[in-house]
Amino acid sequence: MNMVQQFDPAQLDLSQDYGTPAMNAEVEVTVHINGMPVTVPEGTSVMRAAAIAGANIPKLCATDSVEAFGSCRLCLVEIEGRNGTPASCTTPCQDGMSVKTQTPRLDKLRKGVMELYISDHPLDCLTCPANGDCELQDMAGAVGLRDVRYGTDGENHLDGVKDESNPYFTFDTSKCIVCSRCVRACSEVQGTFALTIAGRGFGSRVSPSEQQPFLESECVSCGACVQACPTATLQEKSVIELGVPSRKVKTTCAYCGVGCSFVAELRGDEVVRMVPDKQGGANAGHSCVKGRFAWGYAQHQDRITTPMVRESIDAAWQEVSWEEAIRFAADRFNAIKASHGVDAIGGITSSRCTNEEVYVVQKMVRAAFGTNNVDTCARVCHSPTGYGLKQTFGTSAGTQDFASVQHADAIMVIGANPTDAHPVFASRMKRRLRQGADLIVIDPRSIDLVRSPHVSAEHHLQLLPGTNVAVLNAVSHVIASEGLIDEAFVAERCDRASFKAWEDFIRLPENSPEALEAVTGVPAMSVRAAARAFATAGNGAIYYGLGVTEHSQGSTMVMAMANLAMATGNIGRLGVGVNPLRGQNNVQGSCDMGSFPHEFVGYRHVSDDTVREQFSQIWGVTLREEPGMRIPNMLDSAVSGRFKGLYIQGEDIAQSDPNTQHVAAALTAMDCVIVQDLFLNETAQFAHVFLPGTSFLEKDGTFTNAERRINRVRPVMTSRTGRSEWEATCALSEAMGYPMPYDSAAEIMDEIAELTPTFAGVSFDLLDRLGSVQWPCNDQAPTGTPIMHKDRFVRGEGQFMTTPYVPTDERSTRKFPLLLTTGRILSQYNVGAQTRRTDNVVWHSEDLLDIHEADAEARGVKDGDWVEIASRAGETRMRVRISDDIPAGVVYTTFHHPVSGTNVITTDNSDWATNCPEYKVTAVQIRPVSEPALA
Amino acid sequence: MMEYHQEHLVRMANQIAGGVPSREDVAGQVSHHMQQFWTPEMLKELSEIAVNTPDCIDAEVHAALAAL
Repeated sequence: MNMVQQFDPAQLDLSQDYGTPAMNAEVEVTVHINGMPVTVPEGTSVMRAAAIAGANIPKLCATDSVEAFGSCRLCLVEIEGRNGTPASCTTPCQDGMSVKTQTPRLDKLRKGVMELYISDHPLDCLTCPANGDCELQDMAGAVGLRDVRYGTDGENHLDGVKDESNPYFTFDTSKCIVCSRCVRACSEVQGTFALTIAGRGFGSRVSPSEQQPFLESECVSCGACVQACPTATLQEKSVIELGVPSRKVKTTCAYCGVGCSFVAELRGDEVVRMVPDKQGGANAGHSCVKGRFAWGYAQHQDRITTPMVRESIDAAWQEVSWEEAIRFAADRFNAIKASHGVDAIGGITSSRCTNEEVYVVQKMVRAAFGTNNVDTCARVCHSPTGYGLKQTFGTSAGTQDFASVQHADAIMVIGANPTDAHPVFASRMKRRLRQGADLIVIDPRSIDLVRSPHVSAEHHLQLLPGTNVAVLNAVSHVIASEGLIDEAFVAERCDRASFKAWEDFIRLPENSPEALEAVTGVPAMSVRAAARAFATAGNGAIYYGLGVTEHSQGSTMVMAMANLAMATGNIGRLGVGVNPLRGQNNVQGSCDMGSFPHEFVGYRHVSDDTVREQFSQIWGVTLREEPGMRIPNMLDSAVSGRFKGLYIQGEDIAQSDPNTQHVAAALTAMDCVIVQDLFLNETAQFAHVFLPGTSFLEKDGTFTNAERRINRVRPVMTSRTGRSEWEATCALSEAMGYPMPYDSAAEIMDEIAELTPTFAGVSFDLLDRLGSVQWPCNDQAPTGTPIMHKDRFVRGEGQFMTTPYVPTDERSTRKFPLLLTTGRILSQYNVGAQTRRTDNVVWHSEDLLDIHEADAEARGVKDGDWVEIASRAGETRMRVRISDDIPAGVVYTTFHHPVSGTNVITTDNSDWATNCPEYKVTAVQIRPVSEPALA
Repeated sequence: MMEYHQEHLVRMANQIAGGVPSREDVAGQVSHHMQQFWTPEMLKELSEIAVNTPDCIDAEVHAALAAL
């Protein structure tokens, strides 16, 4: 008697293709596959059940990343009591069903189908780039095809023209079997709907947009189609050039805060391609154009791999050994300490580096430098998230995992553009929106989500830049005044006194949509409709980005969102929450790792005697109890002549920070600037020591993504610099008199776990076993915490905060009548140091200024003209693009190219609580010019 | 005539006074915020500015400095 094979998701080898997606039904059914009983969730296809039972059925049009399609007719089966030979991919299992997957009749049918496919396919297997990695080839073998009776003289598609327009993959239509896997991947996985089947019958062909080349189509180059293609029709150019990979290493992407897991596929030490990992907790097998394709910068000729020093920033760089560079840097810093005191030096950690690399930098600053002058690039992006969520919920992190969005009924996207900046999460979100969730967008721009194929925002509150708090106060006013507060949740979970104070405040007439309409530019009726939709949807989820934080009231806005979530009971379960979409791969991690000048690892204040004593004991050094300086304070202090030395890990503050003239003046005033980076970036112009950094392909450690997921970063290749970044930091620390003798990155994580309650259970061993975990991970949550604040808030009761709207000082005037706001584009990343050194420049070779037609016309500017953009901080020039994505009175640009100098014009206004710069509001004027560059 | 960094310090302090959530006990909130996030050197310098050029500093900030 056969044992029943139970369906156990945890036991499945997810690297295998089960043909159709998994089902989540609670009811289970048992079927017999070739006599073997298998129990699976109701709705599971016969194909999937058979694969679970180990009886893989031949298939071509089926793959488990997309819904069954039933077109190739190769997966036919016989079912007892049923006529015919149904396709197993589209046939759901029924209890008691008895299936045969291999019979003489099925063999004959499958062989016939394969004959037809092969009769219209080039017989060039030996020279085909997919040789050895081709499902058509595999299936021909699986069905035992030995000859094709139809010859090759008939009508065929073998003369199809190859589309080479995309820089990363080719589209060879002669090899296409029209299985539609690419079309379905584009629709179902990516949600772009750029591909279709053009023509009918024998003339049916895959078509990007309206039979355009890929590069000119709506394709976003996520590569889902390439991954889904069972033949060499859609093939990575790197595979064509280098051949099929021979080894694999699992690692984590180093672009945005989604933190996609990848399988790096290599030949020797050379990366052939990056394939998104189906088991990746953040991305579940999907990726974007940056993660999948734009990794070439790691091998770019601009990489600096040898340490360099120079006496002054006017002198030429001298290549030196690691030992000489470390000695030079240590001597300089020790001399500054001796002459000007320990507070004359400091460090900046990087959100691009691993947790372990960040940890050792902040430890070096606190223990070897002897100061708390350590800050991180999160200062200029999500520091208000840390402040606002800690005040209200008790910890500085988003509340949900990404998968939670699949359970949201109303999704509020505020100041974020997920399709460009967090594209893999955007695909998840769009899937839920296509299923019917309501979308509320609060943004000055008409971002893609507002209207794109099969997704549109029911509510777009197109506010004026700088009025976020006013709009959210108005939303909450409606909820409070129309009886939409979740009283039970508030009574059970929140601090009563703070709620009462907030309720009294938010119900004030001055917070009504009508009162604020003139300030925000949003019609009161629209605000009321959006508020009602959010409060009554069931599960309301808030997702936000830098359009929330990079304002003078960034922290206030974060607290306003937390208030809204608590007031509507949208915290502590699937489908809800307050979710920051973090900009860089390890923003969450760099903040977690004690990079802020007032906090140790795990967000514990340096003035806490118990915590400080614990660190002092483990680190063997007395630690300071006063906060150190933030980045802007360090820069100010440098200009005033008191701050003399700065260690900068993987951040280009001369390009990324606001008011670059001030940054340049501060860096120039210092006696020693140490830059640790991949490239000689803009900041390196002011450096005295350059320590070469490692790319993510060379790192060993962990990144923590926006959902608090700690992912392993594994070395795919040996370090091109000869050592790890953490080793370089430890060497400098030792040279300054404080040894940090770690043997491995794993050992650093062990120390982090020892010192940090929320990381207490984390180790490389655990991550290797589980794939990833979301902190808190400790005795109470040994496998991590996907959703926070389930039964109680980290701080106990949720704390409401009143959030009066305070207009920014940065307002449009007669001299500067337009409001500039900034953002990111899909193909480029931040200051472009990585993506500008890849073929992604084909999509965005320069930053452009988007301007409304009316504003352009009033200034005599046409599409493509050069303009000068002037603010009270400075001037720069770029070309304009007339756009109806922005309202009149607002202009928009990106900051991916240093030549654009976008941050020359941004001001030093900042968030009141955290000094996060107000990048999103700069009053400017533009005028047409003929010259592309300033004289 | 204040230097740039001093003007920035004053602007930060005044902005904190305008930004703290509650309008009750603003000085107490400002004082707490500064103790949490400012270095002793910054507090000392602001106190000196408060003495030398008191008009540039909001009343709540003066009260916060007095409470430190």
